[in-house]
Amino acid sequence: MAVDTALVPDTGYVAGTAIDPLSHAQRLIRLAVGLVGGTAAVIVGLMVLTDVHAGYRVLLTVGGLALLFMALDNAGKLFRGPLFETGLWLSVIWVALIGLSAAFADFLPFTESRDASVTIFEGTPILKRPDLFSANPLGTDRQALDILGGIVYGARVSLQVSVLAVAIGILVGGTIGVVAGFFRGRLDTGIGILTDSLLAFPPLILLLALASVMDRTPRNMAIALAVLGIPTYIRLARVNTMVFAEREFVLASQAMGASRRRIIFKELVPNVALPIFSYAFIIIAVLIVAEASLSFLGLGIQRPDPTWGNMIAAGQDDFDRHPHLVFAPGIAMFLTVFALNRVGEKARELWDPRQANL
Amino acid sequence: MLRVIGLKLVRLVPVLFIVSAATSLLIELVPGDPILAIIGTEGHPEDYERIERELGLDQNVAARYLDWLGNIVQGDFGEQITRPGVTVADRLKQTFPVTIEIAMIGMGLALLISVPVGTWAAYRAGTRFDRFSSGSAFGIISIPSFLAGLLLVFLFVFNATIPRYGVLVLGLAWSIWLLWSAGREQRGGGGGVIVRIAAAVVVAGLTVWLTNKWPSFPRQGFVRWTSDEGRLENLRSAFLPAVTVALTEIAVFMRLLRGDVQATLQEDYILSARAKGMPPVRILARDALRPSSFSLITLAGVAFGRLIGGTVIVEAIFRLPGMGTLIVNDGVNTGDFPIVQGGVLILATFYVVLNGAIDVSYSYLDPRLRRGR
Repeated sequence: MAVDTALVPDTGYVAGTAIDPLSHAQRLIRLAVGLVGGTAAVIVGLMVLTDVHAGYRVLLTVGGLALLFMALDNAGKLFRGPLFETGLWLSVIWVALIGLSAAFADFLPFTESRDASVTIFEGTPILKRPDLFSANPLGTDRQALDILGGIVYGARVSLQVSVLAVAIGILVGGTIGVVAGFFRGRLDTGIGILTDSLLAFPPLILLLALASVMDRTPRNMAIALAVLGIPTYIRLARVNTMVFAEREFVLASQAMGASRRRIIFKELVPNVALPIFSYAFIIIAVLIVAEASLSFLGLGIQRPDPTWGNMIAAGQDDFDRHPHLVFAPGIAMFLTVFALNRVGEKARELWDPRQANL
Repeated sequence: MLRVIGLKLVRLVPVLFIVSAATSLLIELVPGDPILAIIGTEGHPEDYERIERELGLDQNVAARYLDWLGNIVQGDFGEQITRPGVTVADRLKQTFPVTIEIAMIGMGLALLISVPVGTWAAYRAGTRFDRFSSGSAFGIISIPSFLAGLLLVFLFVFNATIPRYGVLVLGLAWSIWLLWSAGREQRGGGGGVIVRIAAAVVVAGLTVWLTNKWPSFPRQGFVRWTSDEGRLENLRSAFLPAVTVALTEIAVFMRLLRGDVQATLQEDYILSARAKGMPPVRILARDALRPSSFSLITLAGVAFGRLIGGTVIVEAIFRLPGMGTLIVNDGVNTGDFPIVQGGVLILATFYVVLNGAIDVSYSYLDPRLRRGR
């Protein structure tokens, strides 16, 4: 299908009509080149070149992965139509993979990632470099603990904590925010003062205090992070409520004699809830980062339980010579947060009314 | 307007009161004993009691808090418990500028980059520019700041040749691409050939200059603005921390602006402005950015507060003598409550004043909110 690309805006498609800017043959060529070149580069980078500088191997492997992505993208667009979103699907797959492996971590064949006495007994070498075809695919740390296992167990903690915290935050913060935004006046001022106080409070001191009086279990971390998130939800819900309360349909409903409760529950909450919910994935991603930052500072969940944050903090001292200590958990966290953001963006596109009418 | 500002100032008092009272309660909960930090574990129990009495630590929380409050009202922050003779005010004066400088440079960088890029991406939604900038924002937002800090250290301190030659290669590629597109325009009879060639020369020149003068950055430590080593050294030591702080904010602002402006651009009044023949830059700057600035400013306020309170991560990575380090290491960990109280009070005041100013600016930006209050 020959389309003059100069006439079509370079979006990959024209809204509604789905004209593919690339021809069938072009897609097939890209698919083949990506598949062959990418596979070759990854294999050479990971397995063939073993005595070259690690930088070149990383560069080659990343280049190969990019080519493979191109192949996948073209395959998807070829078989599923030009609207196919390869990145989104890969993100969904990654989130599912992380979620499943975190759920079934106990049944997966990892070498020891928690107890250093076991690895000493077994004689696992410390600071082993990543080698995909050994018992420690991503290497070991200073205590000879398996890094891949640590990443998976860390994922379990991160997901538990952040999902729970978001649920608490939406429920509490959203309710207070809608009430404040609707009633305004003194109530709003009072809630505003409380919100300001909570926000003005250095989060770290709050978390430190909470962490020192409570056990640092995932549930308690979730509560602490939810407390941090609540003022943000209050502000979001309040501003949205204020904006919607000015709209004509609320005025119309008032003019028709609707009670305040009816206006809140029938007119405002459905409108405010959707944009707030559509932020949930993104906020889960933010909280994963917050939890990791806490562990990084030594204020979160402690060893022997591995978390992404405490693994990176421990690797920090050696990472000029052993960068895998920082970058292996770092990349896992990055990919998870990235994938959640990507999925969250789609959720906002679908559910946030301001995004939907594009 | 004055009345609104006055009301905001009145509101400052209860917020600060709640924050400082809550702080003293929380410090009470945090383990950490300042007297133990003074006399050490070998100290005699009698000494312990004597010092406790002298410092007034045998009183309960409420009495200590009220004492502190009485002094604060007179402008006296008190002395550090674990280092007698050192006033809290002095410690705050040393550390506050460090934190505020990092936060302000970071915030400035973030706004400077995100506002034009985000707005333009919204205007050119779906183009290569939009896809590239949105994609990068996506990537950047997914990098936690401590990881970004370590990555920057890895690239700019341990392996400075990588970014240096990266810049060289990318810059030269860009200038070659500009030359190539100039050639294409020439053949196609389009304009702007000379501009493109000039741009290519400028880009190539800048690239070579930058690669030649590639600065080295310290792994840790901070040179003060007022020190003898000069402003340049100060900026050199503040650069990596500020970039670390800015990275996330750039991406956050850019995403918000892109989404917001894109939605605004669908409105009828934008269409009418276009129909009147307004140039796009003017429409973007005057009409499209103004409603979006509403949410941008809210977010920037929250972000700045977070930044001030949360630079502790960056301070930990780069070992900077800032407020976060002061409050956590010298204050909370040893139970030195005047430090914590004073530090939190300063941060909270700063934050509340900033957000008050933002609230006032709402009514300036959105006239609909002016009535009703």
